[in-house]
Order: sequence, then C-alpha cells, then structure tokens
Amino acid sequence: MTTALDPALLARVLSRALRRGGDFADVYFENRLTQTFRLQDGRIHEASTNVVRGAGVRVVVGQRAGYAFSDELDESALLRAAEAASLIARDGAADAAAIELASAAAPALYEPHGDEPAASERYVELLSRADVAARAFDPRVAAVNAFVTDELQYVQVASSDGRVVTDRRPLVTLGVQVVAKDGARRENGYLGDGGRTDIGVFTVKTPESIARESARIATTKLGARDAPAGEMPVVIGAGGGGVLLHEAVGHGLEADFNRKGTSLYSGRVGERVASDLVTIFDDGDLPGERGSVAIDDEGTPGQHKVLVENGILQGYMQDRLNARLMGVASTGSGRRQSYRVMPQPRMCNTYMPDGASTPEEIIGSVERGLYAASFAGGQVEISKGDFVFMVAEGYLIENGKITAPVRGATLIGNGPDAMTKVTMVGNDGRLANRSYTCGKGGQYVPVGVGVPTLKLASCTVGGTAAS
Amino acid sequence: MSSSNHDSRDEALALAESALELASSAGATDADATVSIVDRFTAQARDRELTQLERSRGRSLTVRAFVGKRRATLSTTDVTREGIDALVRRVVSAARFVGEDAHAGLPDTVGAVELCDHDLFTVSPDVAARADDEKVEEALEIERAVREADARIVNSDGSRVSDTITSWALANTRGFRGVHQGTTASRSAAPVARDGDAKRIGHYGSAARGWATLEPARSVALHAVHRALALLGARKPPTMRVPVIFERDVAASVLGDVFSALSAANVAVGNSWLSDRIGERVGSELVTIVDDGLLRGGLGTSPFDAEGTPTRETVVLRAGVLETYLADVYWGRRLGIASTGNAAGGGVGPNNVFLVPGQGTLDDLVAATPRGILVLDTIGFATEHASGIYSRGARGIYIEDGEPRYAVDEFTIASTFPDLLSGIDAVAGDLRFDATVVAPSFRVAEMTVSGT
Repeated sequence: MTTALDPALLARVLSRALRRGGDFADVYFENRLTQTFRLQDGRIHEASTNVVRGAGVRVVVGQRAGYAFSDELDESALLRAAEAASLIARDGAADAAAIELASAAAPALYEPHGDEPAASERYVELLSRADVAARAFDPRVAAVNAFVTDELQYVQVASSDGRVVTDRRPLVTLGVQVVAKDGARRENGYLGDGGRTDIGVFTVKTPESIARESARIATTKLGARDAPAGEMPVVIGAGGGGVLLHEAVGHGLEADFNRKGTSLYSGRVGERVASDLVTIFDDGDLPGERGSVAIDDEGTPGQHKVLVENGILQGYMQDRLNARLMGVASTGSGRRQSYRVMPQPRMCNTYMPDGASTPEEIIGSVERGLYAASFAGGQVEISKGDFVFMVAEGYLIENGKITAPVRGATLIGNGPDAMTKVTMVGNDGRLANRSYTCGKGGQYVPVGVGVPTLKLASCTVGGTAAS
Repeated sequence: MSSSNHDSRDEALALAESALELASSAGATDADATVSIVDRFTAQARDRELTQLERSRGRSLTVRAFVGKRRATLSTTDVTREGIDALVRRVVSAARFVGEDAHAGLPDTVGAVELCDHDLFTVSPDVAARADDEKVEEALEIERAVREADARIVNSDGSRVSDTITSWALANTRGFRGVHQGTTASRSAAPVARDGDAKRIGHYGSAARGWATLEPARSVALHAVHRALALLGARKPPTMRVPVIFERDVAASVLGDVFSALSAANVAVGNSWLSDRIGERVGSELVTIVDDGLLRGGLGTSPFDAEGTPTRETVVLRAGVLETYLADVYWGRRLGIASTGNAAGGGVGPNNVFLVPGQGTLDDLVAATPRGILVLDTIGFATEHASGIYSRGARGIYIEDGEPRYAVDEFTIASTFPDLLSGIDAVAGDLRFDATVVAPSFRVAEMTVSGT
C-alpha cells in the first residue's frame, strides 16, 4: 500500500505547477482505508470497505487558486494535474526554479493504531453487545441500528516553500440508533462516540453505555410533549451543547468569510462580540479527540487558538491562502474532505472553558424555560449570523427544576445577540461524547465541540405547542 | 471537454468487468460492479477576477460482493488492478462475518436495457463542445451583473459556472451489462447586500443537462440579487399559527424530507412516519407525488438504476393516498414489493421526484392569503423521520390582506409531516426540473410560527 509519494517526484510536480508563476503551490496526497460493519435486526447486515486514494495539486496567486486532482499516482498523471492547476496563473511570470523539499514528521497526537483494521470478530462483538444492551434497556425498544467504523488515513503535504510533512490519522466511531415504539408513536435516539485512536477505546467508552444512552433518549421522547414556542430562557447542557459555539460563533470566525468581508464578524477583532463570561477556544492539538489534527491538510501543525476571550474577539481561524492575504500566520485550520477538493478554513475542537456557577444554580435560576441537554446538529447563515440548532434531548424547566421531556424543539437566534445573553457559565465543562461531523461548501470533516452548562437569558424556541 | 467520451464509457465498462472477474476469483458467488468517471470543470469569479479554476477527471468503483446470502461492499478511487484485487479479497473475507440475509442478492432477472441516453436526452452535446475560456468569461459576467444590478449590493461570495460529463457502467455476474452517460451545466451567484449595519447574502443557482436549456446567466444573477434584497430590514415576527407559503426551492427541500420517509430503506426499519400506511390518506387531495426515472432530459434520468433495474414512472402518492414506497431490490424484498428502479449508491435514491403542479404563480398564492408567511429560505436539517416532526429556522415575507408587508427572519416554522401534507391547500404551477427532487410553490393551511 502506498503511504507516501517520493519527495523528488513531488518536487518536480511542484516545479511544473509553478511554471506559469504563482505565490505558492502544494500537493496533497492521501490514502485512507475505512472498514465499516453495520448491525440491523440483531445481526450483522453489511460489511463495507472504502478506499480514498489520490493526490491534488493547487496553485495560489493572491486570492486566486487553481486546482486539479488525480487518482492515478504516476509522474505523467501528476504532471498533468500540475499543468491544469497552473492555468490559474495564465498571465503570471514564468518561474522555473527547482524546488527542494525537506521532510518532517507531524507531532505525535493520536493514540496508537495498527496498520491494518482489527480482526473482524472484534467489530462484530462490539455491535452485538450494543444490540443486546439497547434491547434489554426497555421493552419499547423496537429497532436497533448500529455501526462501527475504523479508519486510517495517511496524509502527505508537499509545499513549494520547501516542506514535505506526513501524518497518519486514525479515527474510530461506534454509533447506535434506537427506534422506540409505543402504540403508533415512534421516537429516535442516537449516540455515537469514538476518537482518533483504535477500537480499544470501546473498552472504556463501552458499546453498552452508548447503546443504553441512545435507548434512554428514544424512550424518554416517547413520553415527551410537544416543545413550546416563543422566547424564553434556555439552559444549554454541558458537552453536546457546544454545537452552540460551533454555529453561533465558530463558522463566522473562519478566515475565508472574513477575508472576503461576507461574515458579520469581519473587521471586528478587538471588539466585544459576547458577554464577558464568554471565552471560546478552538484546539487542533487535543490528544485523541475527533477534531484534532497533528498537521492540518496544508501541513501546518494543529494548535490552540483563542477565538474569543472574556467577550472580546481575538482572531480568526486561518488556512494558508487567507492568512497570506490577511498578513497573518496560518493557525493550522486548513482542512478538506478529500484530495478531490481544495482546503478551507475549518474548526477542529471548539469549546468553552469553565465558569463559576454550578449546573444546579443555573437551572435553579430559571422560572420557566427550556433545558437543551444535547443537539442533533445546527446550521448558521454567515452574513447576518442567524443560527438554528435541533434539540436532540430537551426538557421544560419549571420553577427552577427540570420537569417534562419535550420533543421537536428547534432553537433560533443570532450569533452576537445570543452570546451577549450568556448570563451564567457552569463549572462542568467537557467535550461532547458525540461524533459530530461539520459540513461546509459540500465538504464534511470530523469535529469536536464542548461547553459547560450555560444560561441564555432569552432565546426563541421553535416548537409546535402554543404557549 | 475531452473528445473521448465514448472511450470513457468503454473504459468504465472494462474496469467494471475486470472488478467482477477479480471478485469472482476472490470467492464471491455473485457480484455487481459500478464504475463512474466524472470530468468536471469549475470556474469561480469574484471582484472582477477569476478566483478559482478546477478541472479534473475522477474515477470511482463500487463492488457489491455476495458470498451466498451474505453481502459486503467496497468503494474505491484506486482502480489499479492490484488495488482492486487486494480490496475484493478483503471484502470477501469480511463477508464471512455478515449474517445470512434471505433478501440479499442480485436482482432475480436481468432485464435488457431498451432505452439509451439518446432517447432520454441525458447528454447535451454543448457541454463537451463549449470552450473553457467562454465559461470563465461567463463567470466574470455573472459577477459583474450582480455588482451592477443594485447600489445596495456591496460584496459577493463569488459567482460560479461549472459542468460535468459523467460516464457510468454497471456489470453483474448474472450477465447484466449497461453503460450510461449524462451531462450537467450549472450557474450560481451569491451577492451580499448592505442592510444598515448588517449584511444579507443571497444564494441562487440553477442546473440543467446542458447550456442551451440552462437558465441564462443574467437571469441567475438577478435572481440571486433579488434574494439578497428581499430580506432587507427583516424583523422577527410574533409567535402565531398562520398559513405558510413555501417558495419553490424551499418546497423542494420539504419534498426531499418526504422522499426520505418514502424510502423503503427507512420504512423497513421503522424509521419513517409513513411505515404501515399504504392505501391510507396521508396528504390533501392536492398532493400527488411522482418519481419519473424516464423524464426526458431530467437531472435524475437514466435508462436503468444502480442495480440494472429499468427505471420507470411511479406514482407514489395519488391525490393524497399513499400508493407505494420507493425501493431497490433488497429493501423491496424486505417489504414484499418489487424494485421501483430506485437503487442508488448502495441504497434507495430519487430519480426525478416531484410534486405534481397546480395552477397559477407564487404571487397568486400570496394574493389569496389574508394573513400568513411566505418562506423564502430555511436553515436546519435534522428531520426526525420516525416521529415525523418538522421544524426549521426560516426567513421570508409577512403577508396581510394578500399583500407582502415586510421581511421577517429569526423565526422557526414547525408542524408534523402528517399535518403539513394534509394541510396543503394550494399548489402553484411553477414547477421546474432543476434538481432531482423538485416541487412547485405551495401553501400549508396552518403551521406554528415561533418568533417573539
């Protein structure tokens, strides 16, 4: 199996890419093998193996980028891709300088993972245990669908500034979806967990615990009433509530939107964008976490970034193209779905450090409102900053106590407006034990989110029940 | 593009046949192999400059290998003989750990492919013929047009022009051989309008099988500008229960969710609010939903589906009554129905799914609405197919006395799918086939609007 290309070949490809000129060029090679087993109706339903292997060549001139990829790895195919990418610099000055590459390894960041997927028996056993545990949880569990994926991705990035860096990224996920049924009513629960490690992690994050949690969410919703509608205080649960930061703030701080001036956060570094209780980090260098990268997909090391500190905007998440145009350094945020597409500035693990309140104090401060324990996902519109989240597990808060479960709640708000309404921050922060995947411009990458329990003094809840 | 498109079909079929041979010698008792070869060109312009230029050819292979009644699949972009050989061995050995499944297997019969791309108008020759420089110039032209259309347009996220030529081959060990080719052309724009201290971006794009049938560049630019300007000064509406009108593109996204609930793959595992509802009324009389795999020039049209089943026209809901689910061979067997020719990507997918249009325009719907909301855009996506709950963030126009009054945003609309489909009380005639799931604008008699 090819795990990297010859640096001398990469140097020739880069020279060809820059033959019409350009600020820089890079080559991204990957070879990724993903093994998946799926369980349904109490048996292994399907095994699948997925290979993504190829290389992409990019040429950058100012805000312009030319790109071409190849799934063939011989020199003539790679030179053809370089030639196609070079066309972006059609009116540039010819520059035939030879390129020399110095090799470097990425920092160690992931838990160990072998070169091959584990023995198939082990995946089968994990899924069977999840199935048994979910069914045993409650007789109303009507269906269990579970999967386990085990991925190993070799990445190599060569850049015309003389670096060639390699990375070897593992990623495992175990997901359990439970359908609970009571009469004609059906409800879903889902939980996925894992990280950048091997399936040994599921001796700690056991399939039983993931399955029971998923079954608990589905069966709880069977007894849920319709979510209320209108503005009210909302308490965001620790962990999975971090989707709030990802949508309300994170995307708006990606450098491409800010370099182009299309984000509502453009030109606002140093300004107040949240209450002074709000500090937000995005870290690429947390060991073993789903959103971590030892190097990003442009070869820059993943790193700790302070996005917002005590409510003041500190900076953006940068890839190479945008950092160069904005006169700053890349923050190791250049990520991509595969060799078939160009990198974009993206989040890694976005979270908020602890505040001073206990979760009980926060919930106790709400007379009537919503407790959003976790989110199924969210979306944001970048230019004005409106965001939504779909609540996966939610409850009413009445007289300072969590009471009835509710279903179908969507929260909607505006980024800076919502963040100035953060009036309490808990002391129970953690990353979500959930497998989130972020989509942007049609590209999907694994991310992490986390948050302590938070109080939004007011937020619009979009349910169906009139208040 | 390249002049070797016939060669691409031949190349795809040769690759599929060689993968089948390797799968058989690795121990598969049955298999099918699909190869797609996609030639893609994209040009993006911004600020009077060409900002992105992409041209590539991507090849992908998928193989479904059966060992008796056990199934395992692979997909790969490494189509070297050694690469495929190593992978099919891995997959056949993984199949031993899969449970026996009486429904797994190839289609029982191998149908002859009677229609070809020529009959179905899936290939528009102007895609291969058009010069790259012309497409680049057009991206610049769209960008100029959005900037010049209105003084309030102050920025742009970029204007794009792209096309694809896809060659596709399917072969199975029961003797099926089929090749198919399709082209697409598309244009899009994303202007940004100033709205006091805030910004409003308007996204609009259109796609077709070829350049001649695609919405013209200037029209795409003006549509996008209109979307950016339509929401200027928007405010939060009050929380209320009112009629909601879904503009065509938003209506299409609702139909996309309905398609998921119609998919036999979701129905069979209980993950659909339409499970066990065949023959029942699930929508108003205005709701007739069709999947037509043979629609001439449709973006989802092909002579056969991903398993080689001939595609066809299927009426899924007729005047509100659920007539069938949409299935491939496997999920059809699970539900005891025949494949409807909807095999796609290892599961069930739409061909050309649409809500049958009524009469009149979107403006007519607005004029006939005493008080309500016109939704122009939604955000959010997590539909709970099991419970059928629908909830989205939305932006649009508040209507009173049949007149658009002011723009509204930062609110949600919510209902359940049964209530939503039953509540459709007006359908416009503005259907257009610019995607694989499309709908005309329609009105729902009452939904919860959650704002202040």
